[in-house]
Amino acid sequence: MAKPGEENRVSESPFLRIVGVSKSFGGRAILKNLSLEVAQGESVVLVGPSGCGKTTLLRMIAGLETPDAGEIYLDGECVAAGGQNLVPPFVRRIGFVFQDLALWTHLTVEGNLRFVLSSRKVPKTEHAKRIEEMLSLVRMKGFAEKYPGKLSGGEQQRVALARALIGGSRLLLLDEPLSSLDADLRGELRDELIRIQKRLRITTVSVTHDEAEARVLADRIVKLKDGEIESITIVKPEIR
Amino acid sequence: MESVLKNSELRRSAIIRWRLTFRGVIFLAAAVVFFCFSVLPVGYMLALSLIDERGDFGLENYRTLLAFDSRQRGLLLNSAALGFGAASLSTVIGVPLGLLLARGEFAFKRFWRFGLVVPLVIPPYIFALSWILLLGGLVPGFVYSVFGTVAILGLCFYPLPMLATEAALRSVDGRMEEAALLAAPPFRVFWRITLPLVAPVVSAAFLIVFVLSVAEFGVPGLLRVRVYTTEVFTAFAALYDFGAATALAVPASLVTLAAAVFVAKIIGEKTLVGRRQSSSALNMTSGGSRLVLLAAGMIFVATCLLPAVVLLSEAFRIRNLSSVVLESGAAIANSLLLSAIGATLVIAVSVILGYARGRAGTNWNWLADVVFVVIFAVPSTVVGVGIIGLWNRGGLEMVYTSQAIIVVGYLARFTPVAALILGGIVRQIPYSIEEAAAISGASWPRIFGRIVLPNVRNGIVGTWLIIFIFAFGELGTTLLVAPPGETTLPVRIYTIIANTPPSEVAALALLQISFVLLPLAFLILWRSREKRTA
Repeated sequence: MAKPGEENRVSESPFLRIVGVSKSFGGRAILKNLSLEVAQGESVVLVGPSGCGKTTLLRMIAGLETPDAGEIYLDGECVAAGGQNLVPPFVRRIGFVFQDLALWTHLTVEGNLRFVLSSRKVPKTEHAKRIEEMLSLVRMKGFAEKYPGKLSGGEQQRVALARALIGGSRLLLLDEPLSSLDADLRGELRDELIRIQKRLRITTVSVTHDEAEARVLADRIVKLKDGEIESITIVKPEIR
Repeated sequence: MESVLKNSELRRSAIIRWRLTFRGVIFLAAAVVFFCFSVLPVGYMLALSLIDERGDFGLENYRTLLAFDSRQRGLLLNSAALGFGAASLSTVIGVPLGLLLARGEFAFKRFWRFGLVVPLVIPPYIFALSWILLLGGLVPGFVYSVFGTVAILGLCFYPLPMLATEAALRSVDGRMEEAALLAAPPFRVFWRITLPLVAPVVSAAFLIVFVLSVAEFGVPGLLRVRVYTTEVFTAFAALYDFGAATALAVPASLVTLAAAVFVAKIIGEKTLVGRRQSSSALNMTSGGSRLVLLAAGMIFVATCLLPAVVLLSEAFRIRNLSSVVLESGAAIANSLLLSAIGATLVIAVSVILGYARGRAGTNWNWLADVVFVVIFAVPSTVVGVGIIGLWNRGGLEMVYTSQAIIVVGYLARFTPVAALILGGIVRQIPYSIEEAAAISGASWPRIFGRIVLPNVRNGIVGTWLIIFIFAFGELGTTLLVAPPGETTLPVRIYTIIANTPPSEVAALALLQISFVLLPLAFLILWRSREKRTA
């Protein structure tokens, strides 16, 4: 286990760089001067007790919350600084799998994916091909016409992952993506996530309560406590 | 040992059966009251319409209707124009205001909501009266026309789409919008994600306004616009023709039935009771808020301030205000007392009906909603004629010749809407809290009294006030069923308009408004206090 400060620097040009970020809600400090770097293609898992700031950090990276202080850099570009979001969420090209998935229930599986493609200005001629490829990647071929409400929990999870990835996202954020599933399905989808992440070599930051799960998913585990980094554990040193 | 076990099992199953039976008896009693008071008058009218003057079964009463002559075409056109026009106008006004209340950030939000809801609780004929006083002399051609009626009803009913839009927007899961914001700019997210999610509720509100406008009697009656509801009143009150009156009610009732089925299917298990969830992702910008707020101010002036100022300025011309109030003292006292009794009885029945609806585990729940909506939307004059036909008979004189018949009218008209509201409130409470009580050994009456009722207490108080306000403004049914010598404030206002100085009518109308606004203000204050305590 490494001391914070030694292991939160990854390279000269990290893909994601968080510098001295703080955030308070209603006078209560959720994140305190937190700094972290994530390398291109690396999988970092944030662990820690409830209320320690894991989800808030993820939402700030996505641009859904504004940091009170500090800076966030994405692929060298400063996206948040001086208490403001400089780049809006939809320009950051980030995929986010929410804890409750937040699938658009009024759209079919295909509609959910198509919305992202058309929003990110992918030419219409490519939509069908990319949707088919993505559904095949998450093993959901044949489900395009179904509505989310008609899918099982595991299938919904796969659709949420497909939606997060389809727009050519350069960073994948996962907020306790497996928490609502039973043990068998959890294991199956965890393996699936690792397979997809390896295949796409996409930089990933995930949040989980489960340290055993974190060990399987992570290259590095970052443990948060009271809004600060308590420790960083390198699980797979080869990635660095 | 074996027989002991068997005995205890038998005893347990007997207890379970007794509990189920007891609950069943309570449900059945509420259903019977609903059937007798609300469904039967309408059913009786329909049955009577199929019997001709000679007492033979047939379609004699529908002959004129089916002939579809120019008079019938005019009635259909006027009613349709009234429904579509008022529903469209109220939606165009209500939806942006609902958006403002749900997502706008501005000062005095509670005051704005209160002010913008006021038109819904003031009886529409009071609005019509103030517009007659304001513009009736200047542009009579506009006021006394279908356009004038549409304008007044649109301005009366816009709070329905407004509240529906606000509640629906509040219940949209903020995460869905956030997920979309990662891919698209806010306007596109609002257009493609938020609006489609709230569209079913807005469409349902449109249909409800449509139905209420088609069923409205007071405003077209005052503005001399001939629609089915006014014709029903004339057929009965002037010609005492039960059959023709009912036959005239059928087209509007069929439209109501179709609209009610649509509403029930569209809304499904959703309710218009808002769930507050985090949806800060798509708040209105301050520029957008300011623009809609300006429009809201104009609506507030047109629907609240202007009518109030017109009525006030008329009322100030009265020489002897106290004598006017004293002359109507009995009507005011009747209105207060009968509305309070009516609202209490309606709640007693509909809390059971609402619970049964909320907890029914069948695929036919929507049918109960259809029945509730259809019965509520039956024109008040039709209900009135049905009640007279049903209750004017030997053995029932005690009810028919007393004020009790007015309360019967309230029960008939407002039980369905109260059951709809309370059913929605019951559905918001997780069933698991009742299961937990059942597992701990509580009987159903105990679960209902100690677990369910405390959880819906706020809803019951709110619904009682809503029914009180509705009953206090009820006109069409009371006008027909009130026994000689007995009257209520709305009936008195309506009947003296033609032959009393406008100043006296305006004073009574102001009195009516203040009696309605007091409980509304109490409801809002009480709710905000509850929220603060929570």
